[in-house]
Amino acid sequence: MATTRILEWCGRLYIWLLLAFLYLPIIIMALMSFNVSPFYQLPFEWTTEWYASLWLNDQLISATWNSIEIAIITTVISTVLGSAASLALYRHEFRGKKALQALLFPPIAIPWLITGTAMLIFFFGVGIGRGLFAILLGHVALALPYVIVVVSARLQTFAPELEEAARSLGANQWQVTSRVTLPWIMPGVIAGGLFAFAVSFDQFVVSYFLSTPGQTTLPVEIYAAIRKGFTPEINAVSTIIIVVSMALMLLTARSFKFGGEK
Amino acid sequence: MAGQVVTGSRSGLRSALPLLLPAYLWLTVAIFLPLSAMVFFSFMTELPLSGRAWSFTLDNYATFFSQGLYWTLLLASLRLGLEVTLWCVVIGYPAAYVLAKVFRGRSREAIFLLVILPFWSNGLVRIFSWAMVLREGGILDTALNAVLPFKINIDLMYSYPAVIIGLVHSYVPYMVLTCYLTLQAIDDSLIEAGRSLGASRLQMLKRVIIPLSMPGLVAGAALIFVPVVGSFMEPRILGGRTGTFYGTVIEDQFVAVFNWPLGAALSFILLAVVLVILALASPVLKRVA
Amino acid sequence: MAGVQVANLSRSFGAHKALDDVSIDFADGGFYALLGPSGSGKTTLLRQIAGFDFPDSGRIAIGGESVERVPVEKRRIGMVFQNYALFPNMSVADNVAFGLSVRGEAKATIASEVQRALDLVQLGKLGARRPHQLSGGQRQRVALARAIVTKPRVLLLDEPLGALDKALRVDMQIELKRIQREIGITTIFVTHDQEEALTMSDRIGILRDGRLVQEGPPEEIYDKPKSEFAATFLGDANILRGETTGTGIRLADGTAIAAGAGATLAAGAKASCAVRPERIRIGTDSGTSDPNANMLRGQISKRIFAGNNSTYFVDRDGQTIKVIVQNTGVEKLAEGQKVVLRWSPESTVLIAASQDMD
Repeated sequence: MATTRILEWCGRLYIWLLLAFLYLPIIIMALMSFNVSPFYQLPFEWTTEWYASLWLNDQLISATWNSIEIAIITTVISTVLGSAASLALYRHEFRGKKALQALLFPPIAIPWLITGTAMLIFFFGVGIGRGLFAILLGHVALALPYVIVVVSARLQTFAPELEEAARSLGANQWQVTSRVTLPWIMPGVIAGGLFAFAVSFDQFVVSYFLSTPGQTTLPVEIYAAIRKGFTPEINAVSTIIIVVSMALMLLTARSFKFGGEK
Repeated sequence: MAGQVVTGSRSGLRSALPLLLPAYLWLTVAIFLPLSAMVFFSFMTELPLSGRAWSFTLDNYATFFSQGLYWTLLLASLRLGLEVTLWCVVIGYPAAYVLAKVFRGRSREAIFLLVILPFWSNGLVRIFSWAMVLREGGILDTALNAVLPFKINIDLMYSYPAVIIGLVHSYVPYMVLTCYLTLQAIDDSLIEAGRSLGASRLQMLKRVIIPLSMPGLVAGAALIFVPVVGSFMEPRILGGRTGTFYGTVIEDQFVAVFNWPLGAALSFILLAVVLVILALASPVLKRVA
Repeated sequence: MAGVQVANLSRSFGAHKALDDVSIDFADGGFYALLGPSGSGKTTLLRQIAGFDFPDSGRIAIGGESVERVPVEKRRIGMVFQNYALFPNMSVADNVAFGLSVRGEAKATIASEVQRALDLVQLGKLGARRPHQLSGGQRQRVALARAIVTKPRVLLLDEPLGALDKALRVDMQIELKRIQREIGITTIFVTHDQEEALTMSDRIGILRDGRLVQEGPPEEIYDKPKSEFAATFLGDANILRGETTGTGIRLADGTAIAAGAGATLAAGAKASCAVRPERIRIGTDSGTSDPNANMLRGQISKRIFAGNNSTYFVDRDGQTIKVIVQNTGVEKLAEGQKVVLRWSPESTVLIAASQDMD
C-alpha cells in the first residue's frame, strides 16, 4: 500500500512537471511582453508600452482584421456545409459512403506544408492566385473535416427513431430537421464552429503560402517579424493570440466534451 | 434496426447529395485538385503561367535522386520525426497513464483539458515562446546561473536540441490524448485481476497495459511523425542556420528560389512517404477512431 | 378511423426476402397483433404500413385509399416506438403537441387537445416534465398520447411494451386495451411475445421468413394451427409425425392417432398431429374409460414443479412428450415411473407435412 501511495504521489508530481513544461515558456513570453527592456533583460520592470505600440502598427492591425474576418467567414461556411454533410452521412446509406468518410482524413493528416504548397500551385494555375480569397478557400477546406467529425460524433448519440417519430406525426423534412435534429446536435455544431474558428485563426502554414504582402493574416505577419528579429511587440501580440485561442478552446470544451469521462 | 438500413439504401446517394455536395465540392477544389495539380506540376520543366515554353520532364525527380543533398535532408527530417516521436512517447505515455489511472473525477477532467489546451492554441506563438527560454541570457541561462555556483553558458538557441524541444512541446499533448483514450478504456478490474493472480506492477505493464494501449501509441506516433517530417517553421525559428531540413528546402523552392516544379516534386515525394506511413498505421488509426 | 388492406406485399433487401406476398385485411377498429420471431418480417410489414419504407410490389390501402407510395408524414398514422422516441429537448406537453403544431393548428386548440390526450393516458398533471424525469411506464403513456392526439387513421405499435418489466407490462396491456376501446382506433401491434398477442388482440397474424403463416382470431389459431410452426410458436404443442390415415395419422410403430380437427388429407401422405400439453391426461392405470381416446405409453423422465401446475416430460419411442397438469394435490407421479397418456381426438389437430418444418 505504501509503495502505491508513493507511486501515485510521483505520478502527480510528474503531471505537474509536464504542465510546467507546457506552460512555462508561454508564461515567460507573456511576462516579457510586460517588461520594459526591449532586449528582454532582467530585472523585470512593468510596462504596457509594447501593447500600446501595437495600436500604431498599421500592418499588424490590418493583418489582425484579416485574420478575424477570415476566421468568422470560415466558421460560418464550414459549419453550415459541414453540418449538412454530417447529416447526409448520418441519414443515408449508400455505396461509397465509407470512402467519402475516409476522404475527410487526408486534409487533417497530410502536413500543411504539402497542402499549402499544393494550393498555391493549383490556385495559381486556375487564376485564383494568392490573397485573402485564396486563404479563405484553404481555411474552409481545412476546417470542414473537423466540423464534420465533431458534428458526426454528436449525431452518433442521436436516436434515429426520433426523426421517424417526428415524420410519423406529420412533420416534413424541414420540420424534422429544424425542430428535432438540429436542437439535438446544436452543442456539436457550436463546438464544430469554435473548432473551425480556431483552425482558421491559428492557421499559419497554409496562409503563409497563400498570402501576398498586402493581403496577409496575423500569424504570417508575426512569422515575418520573428525572422527579422525578436521584439517585445511580438511578445505582446503573441500573448493576445494565445489568450484568445486558449479561451476559444475552453469554450469549445465546455460546449462539447471530448475525451474525458467514459 | 434492420429497418434503418432499409430506408437508407432506398433513399441512398441521390437524396444525400444535396447536403453532401457543397462540402465535398469545396474539399475537391481546395484539397484534392491542388494535390493532383501538384503531381502534374512536378513533371514540368517550367511554370506554364509566365508564358514561357514548358514540356514534360522527369528532371525534377532526377534532381532529387541524383543530388545527395535532398536525400540527406529527407533522411534528416525522417530522423527528426523519429526522435521527436520517441521523446513524445517517453514523456507522453506515462503522463497519459497517470492521468487515466491515478487522477479521478473532476480533477482528471481539468488536468486533461490543461494538457490538451496548448495543442489547440497557436503553434507558431508557442514555438516563438521557446526562444525566450532558450536564448543566451534567456530564462534558462539566467535561472541556472543563479542556482549553480559556477558560471555556465546555456545557449541552446539555434541548435538541433532547440528544434527537438520545440517540436516535442508542440506535439506531446497529441500523444497524451491518444494514449489517454485507450488507457482509460482499460477496466481497472482487469489490473486488479492481474495483480490478484500474482503479477507484479512491471509484469502487468508489460503484458497487459502496454499491449492494450498499443493502438493509442501507434495512432499518436503516426499523428506526430507525419507533421514533424513536414515541419519547416519550427526549425526556421529555433534552428537558425542548423535548422535546414526537408521542409525548409520545400519552403525555399516556393518562396525564395521560385523553382515550383522542383518544389512540387519534393512535396510529392514527401506526400508519398507520408501516405505510406499513414497506410501502415491506418488499421490501428481506424480502431482508435 | 379506417381499416387497412395489405395485398400481395413484397419487399426484398438484396437477396433477402423480408416480405413475400403478404396479404392481410385489418378490420376497422380492430386490434391486430403481428406475431413472429425476429427476422420474420413483422417489423418490416409495420414500417411498410407506416410509410418509412416502400414495397417492391403489392398494395397498401388505408380507409380504401392507396398509400403505398405516400411518405409517412402524409399517411396520417400514429406510431409508438419500441424505445418511445420521445423528443428529449421538449417537455411532455410539447412532445404531445408536436404533431398538431407541425400541422399549424391554433395554439388554443393544441393546448386543449394535448390536455385531453394526457388525461386519457392519466398523465394530466405531468405536462411540464421532461421525458428523462419520467418512469418507463409514464414514457410509454406519453408516447401513446403523442401518437393518438393527431387523430390518426391507424395506430401502429412496435413492440411497445418490450422495454417494461413484467408487472408493469401487464398493467400497460390492460391500459392500452382500454384506451384503444375508448377511441376505437384500428390498431396494429408488433410483438414477439405470444402471451401478449393472445391476451390483447382480436386477430393475430403469424409471420415467418417474410410470409404470413396463418391469421385469425386467437382461439382459432390456438385450437386449429395449420402448420407445425403455428402450433409451436403460439403456445406449446407436442408434434407427432407419421403417415396420414385420412382422419388421423399412424406413427412409425403402428399406433393410430385420431384427429378431430385440421386438414383433410389423402391417405398415405406424410403428416403430423399437434396436441397441447394441457389437454393430455397422465395416469398409471391402463384401464380404458374412453375407448375413443388417443393413448400412448411412456416413462416420466423429468418433472418440473411450478406452483399451480407441474410439467412432466414423458419419453416414448425416442420422443419426449410434454404434459402440463394442474396441481390438485391428488396425484403425484415420480420420475422414472411408467405412465399412460390419453387425450381426446377433438384436442388433436391434423397438420399436413409442410416445408416450413425442417
